[in-house]
Amino acid sequence: MSALNAARKYFSNAIIIAELELRKIRHDQTQIWVRMVQPALWLAIYGLTMSKLSGISSFIPKNLTYLQFMTPGVLAQSALFVAIFFGINVVWERDLGLLNKLLSTPASRSSIILGKALSAGVRGIFQAIAVIILALILQVHLIMNPLGIIGVFVIIILVSMCFSCMSMAIASLVKTRERMMGIGQVMTMPLFFASSAIYPISIMPSWIKPIAVINPLTYVVDGMRDLLATGNLHSLPLDFLVIVAATILFLILASLGLKKMVS
Amino acid sequence: MEDKAIVVQNLVKQYPRVKAVDNVSFNVDKGEIFGLLGPNGAGKTTTIRILLTLIAPTSGETLIYNLNTAKNSEDVRRMCGYVPQDVSADGDLTAYENVLISAKLYSMPPKERKTRIHDVLNFLELTERANDMVNTFSGGMMRRLEIAQAMVNRPRVLFLDEPSIGLDPNARRIIWGLIKKLRDDFGTTIFMTTHDMGEADVLCDRIGIMNRGHLATLGQPGELKAGVGGDIITLNSSNPNFSQKIKELGYSSISNSPDGHCDLIVNNGETLIPHLLDSLKMSGIQVESVSLKKPTLDDVFLKYTGARIEEGDSFAETRRARRAFTRRTQ
Repeated sequence: MSALNAARKYFSNAIIIAELELRKIRHDQTQIWVRMVQPALWLAIYGLTMSKLSGISSFIPKNLTYLQFMTPGVLAQSALFVAIFFGINVVWERDLGLLNKLLSTPASRSSIILGKALSAGVRGIFQAIAVIILALILQVHLIMNPLGIIGVFVIIILVSMCFSCMSMAIASLVKTRERMMGIGQVMTMPLFFASSAIYPISIMPSWIKPIAVINPLTYVVDGMRDLLATGNLHSLPLDFLVIVAATILFLILASLGLKKMVS
Repeated sequence: MEDKAIVVQNLVKQYPRVKAVDNVSFNVDKGEIFGLLGPNGAGKTTTIRILLTLIAPTSGETLIYNLNTAKNSEDVRRMCGYVPQDVSADGDLTAYENVLISAKLYSMPPKERKTRIHDVLNFLELTERANDMVNTFSGGMMRRLEIAQAMVNRPRVLFLDEPSIGLDPNARRIIWGLIKKLRDDFGTTIFMTTHDMGEADVLCDRIGIMNRGHLATLGQPGELKAGVGGDIITLNSSNPNFSQKIKELGYSSISNSPDGHCDLIVNNGETLIPHLLDSLKMSGIQVESVSLKKPTLDDVFLKYTGARIEEGDSFAETRRARRAFTRRTQ
């Protein structure tokens, strides 16, 4: 009973922290709009241009068009690119003293991290909606099954949580905003390129393939591609398992790191 | 020990390069305003953070209302409120939202929440600005909001880390009034740190003076000042027999410069001055100027630590204090 109570308190604290972040977004919505620009460019410019290359469709599995293949990749990318810099917020809050105050409340460290990760997830949803709408405008044929879309949103929330926790864990080691900015830059591209976001793993240089296999983003893209493009859900349970496991791992690391951050 | 709000015993915090807190012990009574006084880097904030379970002590024990802070960290945090030294109200939210989030994090029942938030905003005279964004607030208002956030839960112990740092004199006086009122109206035990002697003198029932991790002395402000040894009367005269006559009258001068300047340590300086001047006049010595200095906590600090309180700030701390100041006054 008390374990149940503790769990309830843990999650309700996390939701309060997420509420705090979301209230901030409500007061200043510009960031939401600005962040829609980058994925839109990937899809509308990069995607459309690449579709014109005559040979490209022969590498794309299961008779998908390139835009069908790529849309889930852009969804993953939009979540990744925002989440990977999330640690900067935490460093900023540490510098401001907000973090100290948050830590002096009864909320546990990991519920604070979980709450922040959840808010990153909700931010990711806004972008995902924008990407899907844009894809529909570009007449990309996506499977618009309500359950499938819910599944995509769940994956978006998880991937945002996963990489924002990774970012917060790193933030606790580097401790300055400038370094965090640099590390974010260094990490995004390898994570992005060593995944099946914009090309299939089969045509990657062979030395990258092992990295793609352990890259959580690969599973994120795969899961969303199953739900939105191929409709073949065989590997979906594995995708979810990997994403959830990675999220929990980084949640734990970030929670441990938070302690170090203020001492 | 049962009736103490805070018990600190042999507390040590060792960092890789410096012992931030070095074997410190003291108690704080319930309903007391207790001040830790010392320059930046003396170990005050570290002590607060250990009490609030934000960092773990290297050794020693701390109790808040008989709960061991290391073992019952969540329960300890639940009955404490904390106003950190840095600006900690969230500028991207309204005042009401700031207090609302605090109330929720302390799991206040939703039924009570609304009235409590209104009460606390009213108490701190922020009702009119409740729905304004905090980044439009002045430093003093932000401080009041931060106190509102800490008070909404009605904590038994309120920790204030440098409550008036970076505030203008007027805002400072308002904050002082509120701190006293909190204790008087709610019986809240208040544990504060400051490096401002005046603030400690005005507010605190008892003061502990910290320097370089040690607790140098502890007592009521009056006691500590009396311990310095009395008032200082400074006299100036160009009469060559001046210092000689002072000695004949039975006073000992602590500094005796040839240009006719005498510092005397006495009790009740203000009643003594007329007699002293009369005696000197009768001996034919014209006194040109006289001044009386009552001991301040600054003198207390000087006596127990051998340094003025302005000294000893490291570069990083000075920069931090300046930054906090700029942020509050923007």
